[in-house]
Amino acid sequence: VTGLMPLRLLVGPVGALLVALAACGGGGAPAAPSQPPARPLSAQNPVSAAAPPATPAEYRTPIRAYRRHVSRQLARMTGDVATLRSEIAAGDLRGARAAWRVANARYQTVGAAYGAFGELDRRVSGSAAGLPNGVRDRHFSGLHRVELALFGRASLADAAPAAAGLAQALERMRVRVRTLEIDPLEYSLRAHEVLEDTLHLQLTGQASPWSGAAYDAVAANLVGTRVVLRTLTPMIDARSKAARRQAQRSLDELGRALAQLRRRHGGYPTLQGTPQRERELIAARVAAAAESLAAIPELIDPRPPLPVRSAFGKDPS
Amino acid sequence: VSERGVGRRSFLAGAALAGAGAAIERVAGGDGASASATGEASADEARLAHRVPFEGRHQAGIATPRPRQALFVSFDAVAEDRPALAQALRALSERARALTAGHRTLIGNPAEGPTPESGILGTRVKPDALTVTVGLGASLFDERYGLSRRRPRGLTKMPTFPDDALVPAECHGDLMLQLCANTEETLLNAVRDIMRATRGALAARWKVEGFLPAGRETGASRNLLGFKDGTSNPDPATVWTREGGTFQVVRIIRNRVEFWDRVALSEQELMIGRRKDTGAPLDGRREGDTPDFAADPKGDKIPMDAHIRLANPRTARSEGKRILRRGYNYSRGVDEAGQLDMGLVFVSFQRDLEHFAAIQRRLAGEPLVDYVVPTGGGYFYCPRAAADASDWVGSALLA
Repeated sequence: VTGLMPLRLLVGPVGALLVALAACGGGGAPAAPSQPPARPLSAQNPVSAAAPPATPAEYRTPIRAYRRHVSRQLARMTGDVATLRSEIAAGDLRGARAAWRVANARYQTVGAAYGAFGELDRRVSGSAAGLPNGVRDRHFSGLHRVELALFGRASLADAAPAAAGLAQALERMRVRVRTLEIDPLEYSLRAHEVLEDTLHLQLTGQASPWSGAAYDAVAANLVGTRVVLRTLTPMIDARSKAARRQAQRSLDELGRALAQLRRRHGGYPTLQGTPQRERELIAARVAAAAESLAAIPELIDPRPPLPVRSAFGKDPS
Repeated sequence: VSERGVGRRSFLAGAALAGAGAAIERVAGGDGASASATGEASADEARLAHRVPFEGRHQAGIATPRPRQALFVSFDAVAEDRPALAQALRALSERARALTAGHRTLIGNPAEGPTPESGILGTRVKPDALTVTVGLGASLFDERYGLSRRRPRGLTKMPTFPDDALVPAECHGDLMLQLCANTEETLLNAVRDIMRATRGALAARWKVEGFLPAGRETGASRNLLGFKDGTSNPDPATVWTREGGTFQVVRIIRNRVEFWDRVALSEQELMIGRRKDTGAPLDGRREGDTPDFAADPKGDKIPMDAHIRLANPRTARSEGKRILRRGYNYSRGVDEAGQLDMGLVFVSFQRDLEHFAAIQRRLAGEPLVDYVVPTGGGYFYCPRAAADASDWVGSALLA
């Protein structure tokens, strides 16, 4: 039975969740027999000892493809920011806010998780956290500085210089990305770190506190994660097709939940305006996806393998 | 002149102990009658009877051993004037003296008005290793109380470090009250008592509670990342200022535990620089082994950006500027995305706040920052202890 192999991997919290969903008809997997959930933690990790170790050379094609994606999205974002600035210049607050949402979501498709683009990322999309003077700090700039102006202060006059600064920072980033080296080790983490950021920053309302535009960003982060996963698919499949399928399934679940939310509200509601149960559902789908994606970095770790040792007792299986 | 009279009525609880004799009798009887003969019960008794002196040269709760539980409350001073503030601090010390010494509970009498004490500890308030440590924030030394010229040298407001995500509602404060004891209920009784005795003068600003793991292992206790923490601490004698005080740093550092639990063991160990099971440095075999960074100049064994390497590079320069860590784990609720809010109440004592700041600068951008989020805390100065039964903590600065 083809369903057996992935199910074996689904033991544990994520597996239990997916099995429960399948049981109530929510997922595609067959209802599982009452499998003992007592397998040791290490057995949840679908990394097979027989998997060939990954090499940095294998990352060349995926990283090239990812860089093309980033360039394309940033080019589109340049258009988005131009629209934003013309709405601001035209004195249309509503139009400017809508344009900001588009630009912000576009940037979130890039998957610049965990400062992947360093200081440039900070200038385009940094938050005020960590700055000595918070939102009044002169280093607070970029998308969220514009957000503060448009949504927090409803001030187009305040937004205009901030949007101009954003356009400049974005241009610098576009130039930089062309020659940017991405470390294979860092890229191996990207598949799950994008959604870790989503959980931490978007779904807590920290990322976009004035607009509440969290779900636009979650949907965009899902796009970014799918792109990264797609570029890595040959590498992952060579080691564990099951791990890749499991990850994809969890992303599909998240996609369905987002589509449902959007349908129900006729567009994404603000985070604060979303009923608790609907908020919980999205957060749970993102968290479950992060769980299933977390198996990937070790599967395709580009470094020479470490000597095997067991820290907390041995796997009895 | 009027110092003793000012606000006396605001601090009734401070005086209650001396007054209500009847109350003492009312709760007598039944106390200790059923003391069990088992070893476990006597071990409990011994812990409850453990008394840490409140008076001395240095405040307790700094160089004294850490009991299992802790509670930190930051207050803002709202007293009318300096005599009222001094009176509140005197009341704080009086209550601390009674609570740390242990006494028979005063629960009150009919027609005597509100109960003098909460009674949540039963008929006796036992010492239970309680320590009451008072720290003063830089904000206290402004014009309100004419204290600006008395600000301890080097005491500043806690700065925002680059990796911080500070929540204003749990930062800073005029006064930090650190309570430590063996059991949580001793802390809750103490904080209710002390807040009552200082009501009207000290307004609570934020609070966080901490705990240590039960003694299931030898060596340093584990933090909520699962690693042994506090393995290497300097001699406590190095933290005192000439006056006999010390500077306190409190930082609420959330651990993103769900994310952390999704990280492979080897990655975790490389980020920390220690093995998770034994607590040994990655170049050693036992927890107590000293990492030899000089023999590993390229970071082959312990990466150059591992936490223990950046925090304490063990050079001659860093050696003289070490800090005494005395933190506690915390756990409290979930965030808006359903993620657990738990982590470390980082506490350190040092004779110069710059020693802490230097470590923070070295740690900036370390790989671990993705998993730990400083959300609150403050800088405080803990003056020398009350010298005797008539003295109070802060007397030299405020009187």
